[in-house]
Amino acid sequence: MDIISQLQEQVNSIANLALNTIGTLQRDAPPNRLSPNYPEPPAHPTEDGANFSEEPKLMSASLVKAAKQFDVLVASLPISETGEEAQIKRIAELQAENDAVGQELQKQLEAAEMELNQVQELYRQATDNCLNLKKPDVN
Amino acid sequence: MATATYPPPPPFYRLYKDYAQDPQSAPEPPPPIEGTYICFGGSYTTSDVLPSLEEQGVRQLYSKGPNIDFKKELRSLNGELQLHILELADILIERPSQYARRVEEISTVFKNLHHLLNSLRPHQARATLIHILELQIQRRKQAVEDVKRRREEARRLLNESLATLGGQ
Repeated sequence: MDIISQLQEQVNSIANLALNTIGTLQRDAPPNRLSPNYPEPPAHPTEDGANFSEEPKLMSASLVKAAKQFDVLVASLPISETGEEAQIKRIAELQAENDAVGQELQKQLEAAEMELNQVQELYRQATDNCLNLKKPDVN
Repeated sequence: MATATYPPPPPFYRLYKDYAQDPQSAPEPPPPIEGTYICFGGSYTTSDVLPSLEEQGVRQLYSKGPNIDFKKELRSLNGELQLHILELADILIERPSQYARRVEEISTVFKNLHHLLNSLRPHQARATLIHILELQIQRRKQAVEDVKRRREEARRLLNESLATLGGQ
């Protein structure tokens, strides 16, 4: 896949990771104590256990890794600060060179074609002569 | 414009009855369309230019100007994105009802990122064209060399055979 599509895929995956991170944390967070007046909220030991404190670490680690991967991809962009006009100029130069080389190729091909025809004509004459020489024997 | 469930094909084929004998008796193909056109009920445009962010109503976070340093801007947008995600997490802890603004800022950063990447595509297209032209020039030069070499070889063989026949 080309580098720009990879970058776009990486942006989308960062978005997905952020969505999952924030969403899971918000959905699964244990209730918090609002004010000293209210009693402690009842804990749910069944769902959380030891997994819950690990999940934010894992998810944030993968988020940061995705961001670093994006930086690596950006660094490998083959952009030189040439700008649009320089590229268009280079395209015009290449087109002119391409036309010139194409015409030379055409000339060479025509000359080779002519030489081929000449050789074929000579060969035909030679074989005709051979046949003519052999004719009295065949009869 | 008549619409039907299974419309018959357009009746233009009758005009080309004598095309084999006289190519001029039939009408020319229509010229290429310019501007906007309607196809199957939807209108399309022939100019494929990327609309700028302001036209889409999104705030532009990276610096404008004739030549944008894409790598620097992409990296800074990435850092800003991470910062905004962190801010969202913080504000969900302290003031959870004010998440909307942070989420909107994150989506603006994403839209800027994608717009930057999309504006790299014309540059990529031109670079691809340059690469293809260079390859073609190289192939043509190779072909010219090959043809020259073969002609030389053929001429040499002919001269040899002439010498052989002449010596006979």
